[in-house]
Amino acid sequence: MDLIATFPSSQAALRAEQALKGTMAVELIPVPRQIRGDCGFCLLVQAGADGAIELRRCGAQELWRVTTTQADPSSRKVKSYERYS
Amino acid sequence: MSDIRRTVDARGQACPQPVILTRKALAEGGFDLLEVIVDDASSQENVVRFAQYAKCEIAGVEEDGTVSRILIRPGAAAPRAPEARVFAAPEPVPAPAAVGPDTTVFISSAGIGTGDEQLAALLMRAFLYTLTEAEAAPARIILMNGGVRLAVEGSEALVNLRRLTDRGVEILACGTCLEFYQLKDALAVGRVSNMYEIAGLLLQGRTLSI
Repeated sequence: MDLIATFPSSQAALRAEQALKGTMAVELIPVPRQIRGDCGFCLLVQAGADGAIELRRCGAQELWRVTTTQADPSSRKVKSYERYS
Repeated sequence: MSDIRRTVDARGQACPQPVILTRKALAEGGFDLLEVIVDDASSQENVVRFAQYAKCEIAGVEEDGTVSRILIRPGAAAPRAPEARVFAAPEPVPAPAAVGPDTTVFISSAGIGTGDEQLAALLMRAFLYTLTEAEAAPARIILMNGGVRLAVEGSEALVNLRRLTDRGVEILACGTCLEFYQLKDALAVGRVSNMYEIAGLLLQGRTLSI
């Protein structure tokens, strides 16, 4: 599954990225508007339940599950987010 | 044997509707030739440009007063004949970029702005990621000076630059700069360009300088 992990600061997100790189598919991205309005970085990861535990261990504040939907191949992909616990 | 033809009548439709209708028809496929009818010059230009980005062949443009008919032959990537769809890969062909105005993004450093270098690099990565998600991708990205470092082996921006090329965004890297930094063999995405082409592109359409 795709998970978004938010952190208390951009530096914390960056530190977590460095720590997790190589252990899972992790990407540092801007926090999606639907999650938080202010500017900031978060991690987008492809992980299972154990990955979620690892993210929390690295200081993740909130975890959000990403669902991508696409009505048909020509239309835009729409991402939605729900809290993951 | 005659071509299976489909017509999209986009007369009276405001920008970017003609392009959206064209993109939709091309994604659906099932024809050999697509005829798009528009009634203003900028729509015609946008549809033609879009079809070219989508790697389609412009088989002809018939103009009759203000009305023009654009004949588009789908590229190899598009689903063509109905039976071909049965064997089509389950993964859909990525939708080509929604083309807004002819926008060039000019990037002249590996990071955004001055200040902390690490933050500058982060902002650049975030910016490129956001472009991959943007509704209307730019037509091209020009990389100059330190900006060429984004497109070479080992760059953390590579994944997003590759996603952008998948969306039809052209990436041009300054050859002089690559040579200066001895990175000519390390270019991993896009193509080498020169100052004549770059200057020409910056003067045409809209340029966003980062």
